[in-house]
Amino acid sequence: MAFLNVDQINKHFINERKEEINALSDLTFLCHDGEFLCLLGPTGCGKTTILRIISGLEQPDNGQVLVNEQGVHGINQESTLVFQQYSLFPWRNVIDNIAFGLEMRNINRTKRYARAQEFIDLVGLRGFEKAFPYELSGGMQQRAAIARALAYDKRLILMDEPFGALDERTRHRLQEELLNIWRQQRKTIIFVTHNIDEAIFLADRILIMHDRPGYVENELKIVLPRPRDRKSPDFIKLHIGIREVLEDMLNSG
Amino acid sequence: MILPVIILLIWEYYAVKFNNPALLPRVEMVFDRLIHPFDNLLNTGNFVRHIFVSATRVIFGFLLAAIVGIPLGLLAGRYLLFHRLFNPIIEILRPLCPIAWIPFALAIFKTYTVTNVFGVRYSTSIFEHIQLGMLFVIFYGGFFPIFINTIHGVSSVKNSYVESALVLGATHGQLFRKIILPSSLPAILTGLKVGLGVSWMVIIAAEMMPGSDAGIGYLIMFSYELAEMDILMASMIIIGVVGTILSGIVKVAADQTSFWQAKER
Ligand SMILES: Nc1ncnc2c1ncn2[C@@H]1O[C@H](COP(=O)(O)OP(=O)(O)OP(=O)(O)O)[C@@H](O)[C@H]1O
Ligand SMILES: [Mg+2]
Repeated sequence: MAFLNVDQINKHFINERKEEINALSDLTFLCHDGEFLCLLGPTGCGKTTILRIISGLEQPDNGQVLVNEQGVHGINQESTLVFQQYSLFPWRNVIDNIAFGLEMRNINRTKRYARAQEFIDLVGLRGFEKAFPYELSGGMQQRAAIARALAYDKRLILMDEPFGALDERTRHRLQEELLNIWRQQRKTIIFVTHNIDEAIFLADRILIMHDRPGYVENELKIVLPRPRDRKSPDFIKLHIGIREVLEDMLNSG
Repeated sequence: MILPVIILLIWEYYAVKFNNPALLPRVEMVFDRLIHPFDNLLNTGNFVRHIFVSATRVIFGFLLAAIVGIPLGLLAGRYLLFHRLFNPIIEILRPLCPIAWIPFALAIFKTYTVTNVFGVRYSTSIFEHIQLGMLFVIFYGGFFPIFINTIHGVSSVKNSYVESALVLGATHGQLFRKIILPSSLPAILTGLKVGLGVSWMVIIAAEMMPGSDAGIGYLIMFSYELAEMDILMASMIIIGVVGTILSGIVKVAADQTSFWQAKER
């Protein structure tokens, strides 16, 4: 049985002009334990919305989210979320940001600092423990946000275009770091992106989403061995194939 | 530095020209008063004592305003129910200048002091000088800036901080202590700064009222009646200086806790 079961989720919004937006329609997918799953889709297709529903920040109109066959009510205690915008707490320094989740569990300061330090090292922020978020570059802030989510130590990590705002080189480096962390920590990751290259590089499986309303249009297992070579013919072939699926979808929509 | 010098020069020019210390004393006469803060003035005590009395009244009234204003502001900022409950009263009271309350406060509280009411009978402590009426108007003056800024701070906490905390396992109580409070602290401190300023202004006015027996405001009124203009002007300068020091203290606290807000990108 799947670790996470997203079952026929429907969600609509009413915008400022009182128009109804059908964001998600019967969205259904499974995610296995330890899987790296990418949600790929054009802007506005409901990627953020589904992550918010899985984490319990948003309620679906109907349908349900199951973790180990248990329905999620309120905040999902098995998951954490890395937001699309970096959302470090600006009044806390790096180590206190990263240790936040442990602090919420009332773990004492010495223990949580030791634990946070591991993740600071892991994301390459050693030396910046006492720095405040405004002293960090965008890439460093994003790494801190990822470390904060990892240190909270939940099986399921939801990531909403975490590398969207970064330059290509930094993005590629962080992608590799993330794969290392995923492998070492044996996490399950649902990673949202609209970048085809990123999805192929990272995912075990890609779900291509239809937009307005959002549902899974297409599903693709990526069997290329890691580390993946962006210049390999198989990689390029996949890239072209996915591009065609997306273009067809947009044209027919 | 140039402007104060010019003002002093103009002042000195007219003082010499009028040659009437009961109208406008010379700069050095006022200065002489200021450098002798322990000299007894008109049999009422010295400057230091008057400052001490005024400052004590302000500190007690202000602390009261903070103790009541911050928690109420936190509640009203966070819960719509409380906001609806408080809002009508506040909208009516807010435009009412605290000074307008002074006669009312005098009528209700007479000249009772903390000592009378709480029965610290045989002490000649500072509490003898904390009249309840004065405490009330200082409280009133300090309360609104503190309350309103706290509401503003709480209701403008970014939703993304709250949601980040929630997905990192924060409970309701933790959300309040670890997110809402620190993130609205800069606004709360702004409220405290403004509130303290208002309290200091109000106390001077309150001390000029009948029944007052000490304090810088009292000294101003008393020296006016005796046409002791040098004492009067020295008192005014002291009010300015003490006010600056008070807001400086809060500003230091504010800068300590709000540094992140100015630098946030
Ligand atoms: N709170 C809201 N009120 C109104 N409409 C909303 C709200 N949240 C989302 N929507 C709408 O729902 C749809 C899906 O939004 P969502 O943020 O999930 O898209 P997304 O796939 O994450 O897009 P992007 O790639 O640009 O981040 C959009 O059309 C958006 O306008
Ligand atoms: Mg999004």
